[in-house]
Amino acid sequence: MSEHKAHQILDKEGKATIDRPWIFRTYAGHTNVRASNELYRSNLQKGQTGLSIAFDLATQCGYSSDEDIARPEIGKVGVPINTLDDFAILFDQLAMDEINTSMTINGTSMWLLSLYIALAEERGIDLKTLQGTTQNDLIKEFLARGTYVFPPDQSIKLIVDMYEYCLNNIPKWNPSNVCSYHLQEAGATPVQELSYSLITAITVLDAIKERNCFSEEDFERCVGRVSFFVNAGMRFIEEMCKMRAFTELWDEICQQRYGVKNPKYRRFRYGVQVNSLGLTEEQPENNAWRIIIESLGVTLSRNARCRALQLPAWNEALSLPRPWDQQWSLRLQQILAYETDLLEYPDLFDGSPVIASKVADLKAQALEEIQKILDSGGGIEAIKNGYMKSQLVISQVQRMSKINTGEQVVVGKNRWTDGIDSPLLSAADGGVFKVDPESAAETLQALEETKRQRDSEKVEQCLAQLVADAKAGTNLMAASIACAHARVTTGEWAHALRGVFGEYRPPTGVEGQSLNIENDKLKDVRAKVENFIETQGRRPRIVVGKPGLDGHSNGAEMISVAARHAGFDVIYFGIRLSAVDIVQSAIEEDVDVIGISLLSGSHNEIIDQLFSALKEEGAEKSIPVILGGIIPQYDIPTLMDKGIKQVFTPKDYDLMDIMNNIMDIVMASKNEVV
Amino acid sequence: MTLTNELPSKELLDQLLAARAYKKWPIAKLISLFESALPEKQQQRHQLVKFMSENPTQFPKRSRVIGFTGTPGAGKSSLIAELCQTILATNPELSIAVLAVDPSSQVSGGSILGDRTRMHNGCKQSHLYFRSQASNLELGGIAQTTFQATRLLRYLFDFIFIETVGIGQSEIDIQHMSDQTYLVMQPLAGDQIQFMKCGIMEIPDCFVVNKCDEEVLARTSYYMLRSALKQARIVELDARDDFRKSAKDNIFLTSAHTGMGIPELANHIVSIENKQQWQNSEWFYLTKAITQDYGRFGLAILKKNPQIMRLADNDSLTFEEKSAMAQLSIQQSIL
Repeated sequence: MSEHKAHQILDKEGKATIDRPWIFRTYAGHTNVRASNELYRSNLQKGQTGLSIAFDLATQCGYSSDEDIARPEIGKVGVPINTLDDFAILFDQLAMDEINTSMTINGTSMWLLSLYIALAEERGIDLKTLQGTTQNDLIKEFLARGTYVFPPDQSIKLIVDMYEYCLNNIPKWNPSNVCSYHLQEAGATPVQELSYSLITAITVLDAIKERNCFSEEDFERCVGRVSFFVNAGMRFIEEMCKMRAFTELWDEICQQRYGVKNPKYRRFRYGVQVNSLGLTEEQPENNAWRIIIESLGVTLSRNARCRALQLPAWNEALSLPRPWDQQWSLRLQQILAYETDLLEYPDLFDGSPVIASKVADLKAQALEEIQKILDSGGGIEAIKNGYMKSQLVISQVQRMSKINTGEQVVVGKNRWTDGIDSPLLSAADGGVFKVDPESAAETLQALEETKRQRDSEKVEQCLAQLVADAKAGTNLMAASIACAHARVTTGEWAHALRGVFGEYRPPTGVEGQSLNIENDKLKDVRAKVENFIETQGRRPRIVVGKPGLDGHSNGAEMISVAARHAGFDVIYFGIRLSAVDIVQSAIEEDVDVIGISLLSGSHNEIIDQLFSALKEEGAEKSIPVILGGIIPQYDIPTLMDKGIKQVFTPKDYDLMDIMNNIMDIVMASKNEVV
Repeated sequence: MTLTNELPSKELLDQLLAARAYKKWPIAKLISLFESALPEKQQQRHQLVKFMSENPTQFPKRSRVIGFTGTPGAGKSSLIAELCQTILATNPELSIAVLAVDPSSQVSGGSILGDRTRMHNGCKQSHLYFRSQASNLELGGIAQTTFQATRLLRYLFDFIFIETVGIGQSEIDIQHMSDQTYLVMQPLAGDQIQFMKCGIMEIPDCFVVNKCDEEVLARTSYYMLRSALKQARIVELDARDDFRKSAKDNIFLTSAHTGMGIPELANHIVSIENKQQWQNSEWFYLTKAITQDYGRFGLAILKKNPQIMRLADNDSLTFEEKSAMAQLSIQQSIL
């Protein structure tokens, strides 16, 4: 045997070898099942090794495509799924016993897993061969992403049901994927990412333990099924240290809290999507470099390397990416894995005192925060009382303050902002992806067809059984799989359970937050507010809300906090509102301006709904409406024609500029009325 | 300023009649008029109130004003939302206006008014009106604007629910306006009762222990609270230590989450009668405004003027008329 050199990786026989690369994924799905199926097949052909399915917001929030709240969203941010017939087309010509399928689904994950199982059963596939993940992390939905359906306790119950079912029926399935990804998108610091996602894992495992449905040995295996989904931002050294801290902390928690003896079941298994929050709308081509650097944080250290990686596209701050944009990101992964020597070495950082110290520091802070939450009643309690949410809003506000004051440099945004226009944006399609508005018809037609052909008596029976099981508190997997076979729709499944469990609106976290901005722009806007008070006899009032199903509330939260800082009375109305809800609140509160935020691409449809509701009240001329979010430039003229007074996109990051702009709009509308 | 007794303008009258039919935007505009700090709006307020009070056939309603006070986090907003739904479901002929006060920033003067998120289900009901108000940096828990809005709404709705800003012991103004005040609390531990015993505990007519999601919590809270009340001899206790009959002690054990105790509390509220002499609230806010403008010095002048002091019981003049008289009295005495 040759001498072992420290820079070599050895295989079982002691020969030098190299690692296999991580799983390459692209988060994809749009338009309808047929178009998405084509996309998946072509992605697999391009060398992608796993599927990552994006569902549209109606599917994620438990509505069928033919419901009013769902219609503007059909096929926008992902594929719409109504019944098992849709799933059959989505997985057409895809070998379910071979592929590894990751589904970004949460509030309705039990339902989507049931469809997957039912489809496998109809195809005669052995369930034990199914591999994949349902995201199913509801805590982060309450904190950051907003596609929850049921209240916290019932949400955790459904997760535990799935762990109980999966362990012995589909043992290679990860029933849930603890996400720190969305926490970072919502502003979390590395310490918050570590502590809140580990708290999430602890909450789920504690609940499983409490149900006491596993033998000690099975429980160990169950702990081994817990996987993670992590974010990686621009501070890539710290991010790498965060990953090492995660690995160590998880091992310690599994050993100390759950007594897991087999090291295999204590391994921190994680997938990554790198950070989208830091991607800029300005000079968007720079994002390509950002994505590379973010990838390094989760691949450089072998002991803390991701199992699967998916990368955003360079133009995500502009709109949904086109297939070409996604291909470009996939190529980055392939170049990193196959052209470089990254996979040839053992861990590069073991023994580095700098890294060790940084990791120890992160761990200590995270443990302190974890203990704090456990001492005050645990993860569910910290959701209900709003503690974690308020901490995230504070972090996000601090981050925005730093970018606003220039303390945190973002190239092309607050430094070196002059540059040559990107030729990448001059393609005929404007460099962005558009969902064909006609494509929803196909989805609706298929739904209608299924509803006509199915055995409606059977549907009623299956739903009645689901409700009965929910009331009895038994495991809901069996009843859900039966519903899937009977062609129950996504909306029907969710409504049946809503009837038993109720719905939930979590704390917003924005109350009592303040910005740390003191500059001339603030003085300007406060002077305008003073002037308003003198002439109008009260403070300017703004209602801020998010219509539709899109739950990404950061933008709306930042605007609320900034408006208060400027001197507005802000009626913050939260997420998941209908256009009518927002108009009603604007009317009852007699506001001077309506501010809404949309990121899902459904702005054209929702703005139409909003203005028709305003018209009904006779207020379309009296209350100006401003819009913020991911809005493609080419849509802006249409939106202004519809009556929107101003559109703010991610490049409008200077909060006091925005506030000055809003005050000007408010004053102009007052003068018009006079 | 001099007030004149003309009828309100045609435009205002139209607005008022539409508001009486629960049209939301006219109500909203009129509330804004009552909230307004512009001096010229006083005349319009005076005309409107005079018109409503002198036309009882058109404006027969005199709202019962219900105050909900208690610390932030006690779940006041969710409780009020549940109560509104329950009351309106069982009494569809009734109407409710909710005024929810949230704190203003000491730094910017602005505010985030978040109570509306809890009222999500109620925004399309015609008999339910919800308005958020900022505390405008006033101490006392309810703003001058709340008093002003109530002057209007009491002629339009069967009930006005006022949710105070919720900062503990300073929540005392509400007693001058409400027919009934509920102190909403979380399930308690002994120490909490101790510090609550003084001050605010003397204000409410009734106690609501909210978030009693489990029976054990409800039971413990009831016994703790009862023994504290007994000790302090604040109320007469009748329930003979049976937590299921706690309503007899004017203690309500509720859970907005499970719905426990909500129907009982709703019934209790529906049966409340007008107790408050409205002129009391006007006198309270009048003297408060005078104190703000002239301090105790101003108040002393008023006290020396028997004609002004008689205004405390006067129910025929409007608030604007009384204010003008008080102002005049002070100015004359200074000059």
